[in-house]
Amino acid sequence: MIMGKEKFIPLAAMIVILIGAGSSAYVYATQTTTDNIIINDQQYTIDQIFYIAEPRTFDSLNFSGIALDDLVIKTGVGCLECHEYTIIGDDGYQKTVTWENMQEGLLTKDGMTVFSDLPKAYRIKNIVKIEVI
Amino acid sequence: MEKMKLFAGIIVLGSLWGFAECIIGPAMGDAGLPSGALMTSVFGIGLMMMSRMLFKRRGMQIGMGLVAGALRLFNPFGGCVVCSAIAIAAEGLLFELIWYKMSLDFSELKTITMKLSMGIVTAYSCYVGGYVITQILTPMVASAGFYVENLIVFMPQILARGLLAAIVGGITVPAIFVLKDININNVKDRIYYPTAVSVSILCWVVVIANALFLMGA
Repeated sequence: MIMGKEKFIPLAAMIVILIGAGSSAYVYATQTTTDNIIINDQQYTIDQIFYIAEPRTFDSLNFSGIALDDLVIKTGVGCLECHEYTIIGDDGYQKTVTWENMQEGLLTKDGMTVFSDLPKAYRIKNIVKIEVI
Repeated sequence: MEKMKLFAGIIVLGSLWGFAECIIGPAMGDAGLPSGALMTSVFGIGLMMMSRMLFKRRGMQIGMGLVAGALRLFNPFGGCVVCSAIAIAAEGLLFELIWYKMSLDFSELKTITMKLSMGIVTAYSCYVGGYVITQILTPMVASAGFYVENLIVFMPQILARGLLAAIVGGITVPAIFVLKDININNVKDRIYYPTAVSVSILCWVVVIANALFLMGA
């Protein structure tokens, strides 16, 4: 039996609403809230991170913080160019960058990454983890 | 309907869409509003729906998406400009695909349930489709490269954010139906063409002037 448009379209709309509502519930339930950041499987507070890493400023973008490349070095990662780095926000948003990108990146005091060589899509807010892959 | 009239319609409605994306969207974002969902469901869907209602032709919406996307290229702010432009054009294509099987006299959309449902499905599909395209293209254009796992883990967020677009789209499409009885052929050429040209030029001039002003600031 072929379903007519008068049945199919409202059904499709209901499915769309269910997908949207279900995804919203999932996102809300899985959202992480923490003051710590896990870097290469080790946990740090934002104050510790700002203590160990060198400061960096992007005058043209009006952002300052600490250098992401120096942060990774200080946390003991070896063969820096051999790896890629996945930066994960508290809402699950994540982006993977290269070592070259990390050398152009900073972490602000409120936990946002900024890269001078990458678009705004790489400004990840409230980061909870930096995975070395 | 003469081709010139259709062409002018594509240019003026596409320019209005592009103007909204370049000027109104960033202002909404600065005001803390969910500009992406509102831009698609109010301006994108609203203007494409308007074109379908007034001109009763298929294919116009792809053209409008291309014009709006082209105008976006002249506003080099807010991340990956090329990606945004392609995503806008893709929204036009998605609209065409969703509405392809619908009759041009809207005979299927007699009830409010059908109008609302089409609004929900269209706005959600266009928003999610455009968002996914941007997420794929931005890393490819940037030097970092695209990683499919980054997109997969973010899909629940994209699907969740589409809910607002769907709800607003469910209001926009029935609202545009107030234009159903307007016959664009009744508009005299001496009014239609100067208006279309003036509005289009105004949209492009404002967007380009705004870009030059921001670059100089």
